[in-house]
Amino acid sequence: MPQLNLVYRQREAGDHLRDLSDYRRAGGYEALRTAVTTMEPDEVTYSLVRSGLRGRGGAGFPAGRKASFLPKDAALPSYVVCNADESEPGTFKDREIMEDNPFQLLEGIAIAGYAIGAKRGYIYIRGEYEHQALVLDDALRAARQAGFLGRDIFGTGFTFDITLYRGAGAYICGEETALLESLEGKRGQPRLKPPFPAVAGLYASPTLINNVETLSAIPPIVERGADWYAGIGGAEKSPGTKIFSVSGHVMRPGNYEIVLHQTTLRELVYDMAGGFRPGHDFKACWVGGSSVPVIGAESLDTPLDYESLNGVGTFLGSAGCIVMDDSGCIVRACLRLAHFYNHESCGKCSPCREGTSWLEKILQRMVDGDGRMEDLDLLEGLFGRISGRTLCALADGAVMPVRSAIALFRDDFVRVIENGSPRPEPMMEVAVHG
Amino acid sequence: MTADEIRAHIDPMRHEFAEERSLVLPALKFAQTEKGYLSTEDLRAVAEAVHLTPAYVESVASFYDRLYLEPVGRRVVSVCVTLSCMLRGSDEVMEHLCHREGLGHHGGTSEDGVITVQEAQCLGYCDAAPCIQVDADQTRGPFTVEQAGELLDELRDAPVPTRYVR
Repeated sequence: MPQLNLVYRQREAGDHLRDLSDYRRAGGYEALRTAVTTMEPDEVTYSLVRSGLRGRGGAGFPAGRKASFLPKDAALPSYVVCNADESEPGTFKDREIMEDNPFQLLEGIAIAGYAIGAKRGYIYIRGEYEHQALVLDDALRAARQAGFLGRDIFGTGFTFDITLYRGAGAYICGEETALLESLEGKRGQPRLKPPFPAVAGLYASPTLINNVETLSAIPPIVERGADWYAGIGGAEKSPGTKIFSVSGHVMRPGNYEIVLHQTTLRELVYDMAGGFRPGHDFKACWVGGSSVPVIGAESLDTPLDYESLNGVGTFLGSAGCIVMDDSGCIVRACLRLAHFYNHESCGKCSPCREGTSWLEKILQRMVDGDGRMEDLDLLEGLFGRISGRTLCALADGAVMPVRSAIALFRDDFVRVIENGSPRPEPMMEVAVHG
Repeated sequence: MTADEIRAHIDPMRHEFAEERSLVLPALKFAQTEKGYLSTEDLRAVAEAVHLTPAYVESVASFYDRLYLEPVGRRVVSVCVTLSCMLRGSDEVMEHLCHREGLGHHGGTSEDGVITVQEAQCLGYCDAAPCIQVDADQTRGPFTVEQAGELLDELRDAPVPTRYVR
């Protein structure tokens, strides 16, 4: 069960790398030097293509191909946008990158900027991460002062700077086109696609938009080579490392950067995250954040990579792995997620705006003991009226965890409809916060 | 806040954006630091500073959870209630705080106007569940019910903030 800290370089270093001198000592900014002094921009993009790196924000789209979609001869300037709106329930991996290893992100953005010929990048950070935004403010200042941002980087004529843009509380702004709308000073509502951001993104300009973890994976790839990265883990379409955030009913919640395909869900949950309290065991898990189908104990031996998780009917997603033990109630868990999506629906598409509201209402009456057996069919009908009928994936994210829960734990739903659901005891412990 | 004060804040960053409209969110967030919420006058001042209509500015402001269009307490306490925190007792924490402050189930502002308690959706500190964020300070956790109550006592005794970052 190998852990390998490529993105979490601070863990290799044994301490946070918030000081530029520490990051340099840990090998920082050698990749940017290599890129701008020895490689053509297209070579950098090609290297990303060959590395097999996939988008770590949730969709898993090949990062190099995404970069290669940007037109070479556009009349408008190109931009790099870093999606730091980490809001998927159960996901807190980017937080630790920005907090403890901010320069690796800045270096990755600069390399991406060089690859696509951009002069400016933006980091869109969720408003609730003000503490992390302050760390990035300091890091940006230090990088500018040292000449890693600004004019004539490494004396090559490459000019690039980054603007940090603070959000103000909206899950939907993690959807890339909603993020761009927000960054343009509008309500954060998704756009109709196509055109995709690569062609017409920020200010209708060619835009490369990637998650924090994706961009932070670029420096090691440039430094050690695409072939080296492509060989990590041994799964053809899922190479490299991935940070899993594990939370819920486990003894050691936290972030674990694992080698894809070399680690099973069981190893992640039991060996790394410490398993469960005495007397309790695994019940269910939302392995890729909350917007994915839930899986049960029969999937515990699945290797953690994109294809293997698809094989058991779920998605790797953002790898925000929420784990529930047998003390939890699956219907209550579904209700809580439905509440989340209802609250966060931006209201643009009716199937989502109305559908998530009904989803919450129906689950609420089940939990309250007022459910009816025909509600299960009613929900199935509702899913069909929501899924695939909206501009973005939020609505599908609302449907998948509930639809899969009914399929997998139908007996639990029947029991709750018949008897209601008393609130289970939460797992609370003596707190150790500072 | 006046349009001049807002302009003084946003003018240095104008060159970073191809379109002036991008300044509306930084302007709103800055305007809110004065009173902790945005009054009609604040929205007008933002509109003037970024050359947009007050109606447009309000349409943007009303979209975001962390921009407040009504007065809120001196300190805003956000209790994360999403799944990971629920499994770790966030409902118990939320109910305790609401009961303590004499508020309904979903929170509100205490009678003395000091504390607003609100539900938050996933704050990204699931490893510290149940977690709480005060204003836009660093989110902390895990909290027991008792510790969450003590946090409110500390906030009541703390000096009035000179600016409000939410």
